[in-house]
Amino acid sequence: MKEYKKPLPEIQPWSRAFWEGTRKHKLLVQECNDCGVKIFYPRKHCPQCWSSNLGWSEASGKGRVFSHTTTMTGVEDKFADDLPYVLAIVDLEEGVRMMTNIVDCDPAEVGIGMDVEVVFEEVTPEITLPKWKPVKK
Amino acid sequence: MAKGKLAIIGVGEVPTGRYPDRAPWDIIYEVCKQAVTDAGLDKNDIEGVISVNPMAQPQLASEIGFGKIPEELGLKGCNDVCICNAGGASTTNCLRLAEQWIESGVAKTVLIPHVTVQSIIPPDKLIAFFATAGMDLQWEYPFGTTYNGIVAMMTQRYMYETGTTAEEMASVVVALRKWAALDPNSMFYKKPVTLEDVLSSRMVSTPLHSRECNVLADGGAAMVVTSWDLAKEITSTAAYKLGQGARYLSASPMLRDDFFTREAWRQTAQMALDEAGIARNDIDIFEFYAAYPFCQCVMLEAVGVCEPGKAGKFIMEGHTSPGGSVPCATIGDATGRGHTGSGVSIANYVETARQLTGKAGERQIPDCQYVLATSAGGAYMNAVTTIWGREAQ
Repeated sequence: MKEYKKPLPEIQPWSRAFWEGTRKHKLLVQECNDCGVKIFYPRKHCPQCWSSNLGWSEASGKGRVFSHTTTMTGVEDKFADDLPYVLAIVDLEEGVRMMTNIVDCDPAEVGIGMDVEVVFEEVTPEITLPKWKPVKK
Repeated sequence: MAKGKLAIIGVGEVPTGRYPDRAPWDIIYEVCKQAVTDAGLDKNDIEGVISVNPMAQPQLASEIGFGKIPEELGLKGCNDVCICNAGGASTTNCLRLAEQWIESGVAKTVLIPHVTVQSIIPPDKLIAFFATAGMDLQWEYPFGTTYNGIVAMMTQRYMYETGTTAEEMASVVVALRKWAALDPNSMFYKKPVTLEDVLSSRMVSTPLHSRECNVLADGGAAMVVTSWDLAKEITSTAAYKLGQGARYLSASPMLRDDFFTREAWRQTAQMALDEAGIARNDIDIFEFYAAYPFCQCVMLEAVGVCEPGKAGKFIMEGHTSPGGSVPCATIGDATGRGHTGSGVSIANYVETARQLTGKAGERQIPDCQYVLATSAGGAYMNAVTTIWGREAQ
């Protein structure tokens, strides 16, 4: 694997399960076992009720583009080789929203409301980033 | 809690631009001396110094945070010193802390300085600073977020939901730059732009063209504030704080139901107007510090001047420009001023004070009685609205 120069997520103890999940190509969403709310991003305590009785469930990996932008310039050198790249906010079927990249397509194809599915980008042996691509019709 | 009863009685400012040869402390000396002189005070009358945190300049922030300004300037009457950091909302917090110091007897008069010199920071370091400042290092930064990128997504969604056109969005820049063209303290003084200039500028992060993004600049400003009572004794021209409203949203825009922040601005404007005991129609100027064009639209809609989604057209028709019926952002916001880190907000309050004291030169709105000013930090983490008047009431 080529050396990965872009920033890696700074993992916290309570988010470790999420990143262990992506490494196994599973997208996990945290949820509160007491009040039932779905939580993204993962927290130590439920942001709704402050319970620490939290668990995980596997997401369907289906979502929809809430908004997006094609970044053309003005980035750090470590991202320059990726230009132009699509930064997006995706609504998951489970009702949570994440920031990500839309990949495997022409940036001009991406639009608000587009159906997307998760893809797992193995960037280092330890870290796999969840990204999204358009669902092929 | 009772009204803070704060008044701005003196201001100082240097023009925005690029001053790689000018030390930050040179700017601090100049703006502080201007503000104290403008207030008609002696340097030893200043009893407190509360500074706006300079962004991307950790050593300077540390020097200021650890009390160097009163020492350097020889403020012999100074009782205490502090620095405030809430991103673009830092100045608002300096003002509120000053209110508390004045009310509790720590200081009768407080100096609020700001300086930013970004031109001495290498471009790659500046890009790296703004790529990580306020960004989530786990859930945002690994995907290549930038401030332009975040706001581009907000703008994209705003245009999608409201049908605002690229021309209407670009016209916000045209309007802001018309104000800046009248402002000798702007790096864009006498440099208006056309719709064509904006739309033909390089695409940075769709749908934002480079002229819809901010140019980083050096700058500095200072204000002297005191109580209403003392202000009335000292001067016949002051800007009196009459009301405020504040709401926190979230650090990351992805976690917001109020994605455009419109509802938060609506609420805080209403809170501030209610506290001031005036109505929206009484406002002579909306000093919106919105940082990017789409948020000028959102704020106009939030205060009820325009229906949601109609602000772009309203701005394109010229109503917010010089000579228009609803003057907005009379220094041209960050777009027209150049982005001085946390400094655009203090520039906005300095302009508020100038307009209310009749010192705004070519930009002066005749008989200006009331100004509504906004500020926010980070990626619109909060919405803070204040109302200012030329008389205490």
